[in-house]
Amino acid sequence: MNTQSARKILLLYRPGTADANEPEFAEALDFARQDENLHRWFGEHCATQEVIRSRFKLIPVPEALREQIISERPWQPLIVSKREVFALAGFVAAVVLVCFALLWSRPPSPVNTGDNLAAFQSRMVSTVLRAYPAMDLVTSDLNQIRAFLTEHSAHGDYVLPAGLGQVAATGCATISWHGKQVSMICFKSGRPLAPGQTSDVWLFVTDRSSLSDAPAGDQPQIASFNRVTTACWTRGDKTYVLAAEGNEEFLRNYF
Amino acid sequence: MAAKLDFESLVACYYKPLYQFAYSLTRTESDACDLTQQTFYVWATKGHQLRDQSKVKTWLFTTLHRQFLEIRRRQTRFPHHELSDVEDELPVISPQLASQLDSMQVVRALGRVDEIYQAPVALFYLQDCAYKDIADILGVPLGTVKSRISRGLAQLRKLLADDLSPESNTGTAKS
Repeated sequence: MNTQSARKILLLYRPGTADANEPEFAEALDFARQDENLHRWFGEHCATQEVIRSRFKLIPVPEALREQIISERPWQPLIVSKREVFALAGFVAAVVLVCFALLWSRPPSPVNTGDNLAAFQSRMVSTVLRAYPAMDLVTSDLNQIRAFLTEHSAHGDYVLPAGLGQVAATGCATISWHGKQVSMICFKSGRPLAPGQTSDVWLFVTDRSSLSDAPAGDQPQIASFNRVTTACWTRGDKTYVLAAEGNEEFLRNYF
Repeated sequence: MAAKLDFESLVACYYKPLYQFAYSLTRTESDACDLTQQTFYVWATKGHQLRDQSKVKTWLFTTLHRQFLEIRRRQTRFPHHELSDVEDELPVISPQLASQLDSMQVVRALGRVDEIYQAPVALFYLQDCAYKDIADILGVPLGTVKSRISRGLAQLRKLLADDLSPESNTGTAKS
């Protein structure tokens, strides 16, 4: 290093900054301490630089600028670090696990799979009460009804109670129950019907196995749902529900 | 500034040096205000992408400078001088003479320095950051930064010396 190269380096030196830590500046500063002329020049150079620097730092800043920047701040996106995301995900997973554990540890409640007789009867009654059931086939011919039901994978080989065989049929429909087809055969008892009503007695036929608590025999079990009375029995592999608006006595006329 | 800063704290820390840097480049208060505001706007919308929070200061100055360049982009090719060529021409300005200058005179003089040198010189005087950080802000290599500052300082000192000369005081100064 010579005087000229040291001077060239020291032109960029800023007193009071980290420049002194840089090896290039440190070497030039050491050189300047040993060179009287360079040292004198460097002292004056630094003083002049400090004056100019102070002038830059005295550039006036508008007083309202800070408030203006803050007031016009746009929406700032939520800053979430990866660590925070993982922590949140872990917390959510823990909550879910606790919920599962609590559910798992609860004492078992009575099993209600919905395939019991009461549920079946309720569903069928609601069907007949819902503005009267729509029929897939409208006919008074019981043979046609059997053929239609068989053709549609429902029960066409049902056995009617003795009294019901004398009642006029009006049609039939199939209803899905727990994935199985239920036959609905509609009858008209001869009582006065409401306008638009075409039937007032309905027979539902389903697989015995589709009900967990189907009656064991052919003795009808009577029940009432709203204004509808039902009689339920089992014959062979089928369970029957006869439903009609009226009391038990009315219904027993068909057996 | 290692820890995360909320927006208001960040503004409080940096709006003054950023404005002064912007003013050194634009020499217009309104333009400097716009640049400073725009810089914080960009921070508010994109600052969360900065992973190393210790680089906030460099990030802000880099952003401001880029905004300035976008506004003032021009095709002029700047004259290139080797430092040795201009060093001989460096006028001597004593500290006493320099103290006659005020901030506006210095900024006006900087405005007459070749534009490519203005930002490096402003950062040289305004900021205490290392040359490496200045290089990062300007997006140029370290050696380029140093040479640009050297040339810019030479031009500035010549202009200031002209302003301080007796002829300047009789109305012949460049403006």
